[in-house]
Amino acid sequence: MAKLKVNQLKKSYGSLEVLKGIDLEVQEGEVVCLIGPSGSGKSTLLRCMNLLEEVNGGEVMIDHTLLTDKKVNINKVRENIGMVFQHFNLFPHLSVLDNITLSPIELKKNTKAEAKEIALKLLDRVGLADKANARPAQLSGGQKQRVAIARALAMNPDIMLFDEPTSALDPEMVGEVLAVIQQLATEGMTMVIVTHEMGFAREVANQVIFMDGGLVVEKGTPAEVFTNPTHPRTQDFLDKVL
Amino acid sequence: MRKFRQPLMIALMTLLLSFIAPFAQAATTDEKTYQIATDITFAPFEFQETNGEYVGIDIDLLNAIAEDQGFKVEIKPLGFNAAVQALESKQVDGVIAGMSITDERKNKFDFSDPYFDSGVVMAVKEGNDEIKEYKDLKGKKVAVKTGTEGASFATSIKDKYGFKIVTFDDSANMYDDVKTGNSTAVFDDYPVLAYGANQGNGLELVTEKESGGSYGFAVSKGQNPELIQQFNEGLSNLKESGEYDKILDTYLSAPKSDEDKGVIGLIKSSYPSLLKGLGMTLMLTVVSLIIASILGIVFGLCRVAKNKALNMLGSIYVDIFRGTPLIVQAFFFYFGVPAALDFRISAITAGLLTLSLNAGAYMAEIVRGGIESVDKGQMEAARSLGLPYKKAMAKVVLPQAITLMIPSFINQFIITLKDTSILSIIGINELTQSGKIIIARNLESFNMWLIVGLMYFIIIMILTKVSQRLERRIQNGKA
Repeated sequence: MAKLKVNQLKKSYGSLEVLKGIDLEVQEGEVVCLIGPSGSGKSTLLRCMNLLEEVNGGEVMIDHTLLTDKKVNINKVRENIGMVFQHFNLFPHLSVLDNITLSPIELKKNTKAEAKEIALKLLDRVGLADKANARPAQLSGGQKQRVAIARALAMNPDIMLFDEPTSALDPEMVGEVLAVIQQLATEGMTMVIVTHEMGFAREVANQVIFMDGGLVVEKGTPAEVFTNPTHPRTQDFLDKVL
Repeated sequence: MRKFRQPLMIALMTLLLSFIAPFAQAATTDEKTYQIATDITFAPFEFQETNGEYVGIDIDLLNAIAEDQGFKVEIKPLGFNAAVQALESKQVDGVIAGMSITDERKNKFDFSDPYFDSGVVMAVKEGNDEIKEYKDLKGKKVAVKTGTEGASFATSIKDKYGFKIVTFDDSANMYDDVKTGNSTAVFDDYPVLAYGANQGNGLELVTEKESGGSYGFAVSKGQNPELIQQFNEGLSNLKESGEYDKILDTYLSAPKSDEDKGVIGLIKSSYPSLLKGLGMTLMLTVVSLIIASILGIVFGLCRVAKNKALNMLGSIYVDIFRGTPLIVQAFFFYFGVPAALDFRISAITAGLLTLSLNAGAYMAEIVRGGIESVDKGQMEAARSLGLPYKKAMAKVVLPQAITLMIPSFINQFIITLKDTSILSIIGINELTQSGKIIIARNLESFNMWLIVGLMYFIIIMILTKVSQRLERRIQNGKA
């Protein structure tokens, strides 16, 4: 049984149809990279996976829970899905430590002391143990994104969603963030990553999905998609970015 | 933060209760106390002494009659129009305010026997020997106040004597026009002019008074008939004993006041009343802004809610209170609602209600603007962590929105502080009202308004500076 399953997913903004019926499956421990030209719907698809976007049709299923069912408590489901944003979205009024401990404490997942201990361990893991009391404004882009990853991990999720995690970074900081994500991959975290870093996708992904015009055009192993794309649009896209 | 909240709330509630309590008690005392409204700016009939006490012919007469007849009065200086409206809406039991007995007023009120025969006199600038009688006015200009008997009298004789009429809304302006020589003479009620001349307003009376209207004490039609009866009996007793003449003489033949009329002298003599007024102004501002902040957060949240009903509720509230003038709202809550629902409300309670609801509407817009200017990603990040909407709003969005709102909030503070002056219209003794009251006594409008304006200005400048400093701190990310 797939960890995450998307079935005939449809999403439109007014008359603009962004997702036109998406099917995909993510297995436990699998790393899936979504690639494709901008406007192809990959970020929207990712945001539908934790219902940050309202879905107009189709199903999203995680384990045995149907997220698109109105009766499901989406807040409970989201506790189990970490999300990392392109623009980090750290809470600027809170210290790095408080950014990480806010939801575990508010949602009574941990006591304050536990949450702090976990947060410090996570900061150590992303190489920022010394920044616990800093404000987000005092951090570089790469450091902010690593804090954002630690914040998502603090809820101990089963699945992590990454929405172009390195697109807003200066080139010299891309590496430090990708290294953290790669580390997660080797630890067996189930991840869906929207990315423009083709080298990274090729290296860490078990499955690469190429999207264009609101549809999945091609999916397969990195070797299949990057080396022998079967679809001309995939070929065309890869020619431009590689 | 949490530490401060509770004492603040308790202080707020205590403050609120202290306004409501006396009003609640007044209704339950078994000894009959009548609430009598009066004007604030009609010397010598009613005005405030330097020590803050209300005096004047009306006040002294009413107190003497009450003593004679054995009832109690609580005098409420509201201003003439407000006093009349308060009587109409039964907020008070009676009105004594140098009010002429007219047929029109008799439709709504029951009047006592006349207690003072007024009449119009003519006054000219002190030392003007050329004008002795009406015929000397040929070709000259005469100042009158809108709607007074002086105005109707001047109109009735202007063609006969060939003078022109200049109309004013304010006594002080009218007198100034004569003193500066723009107008040659002024027509006004005898007691008012006589008192003004005695106080050294620079005018002198040149004619005997024309027989004119009579002043009466009024109650609402059909209400408190015993009060009218007691007033009439008391009045005739006072006339018999000679106390009536004594009271009149106290004011009409009063020696010139020796009050220092320079700015420094005025500040010295009036600062206790002015500071009390300022205190009231600040209290009204602070209390109503605290309530307005709560209203603003509640309705501001409604405005950004996805729920259509809540959204509509927020819009309706904001539209109503932004779409009507504050003064209309004040009249509505002080006169309108209590009259319609037949209950009494103190002016301060009505004033706080008005200011809070009015400022609340603007605060709601400030809160909405603050929330909307927080990056959408903040809410998304909070929700993605599993935080429910309310928690995400309270812990992530609102704290940031509030920081962004501080400059607008201080701006609203300044606006509300100035708006409190409008509440002088329902007789609340705040800073502007204190100024009005003092001017009614000493007729020094230029210097007094200068002093009052300066007091507002200083307070507001302090707030502006604080606001600028806060804004700078926010920009530097320190707040």
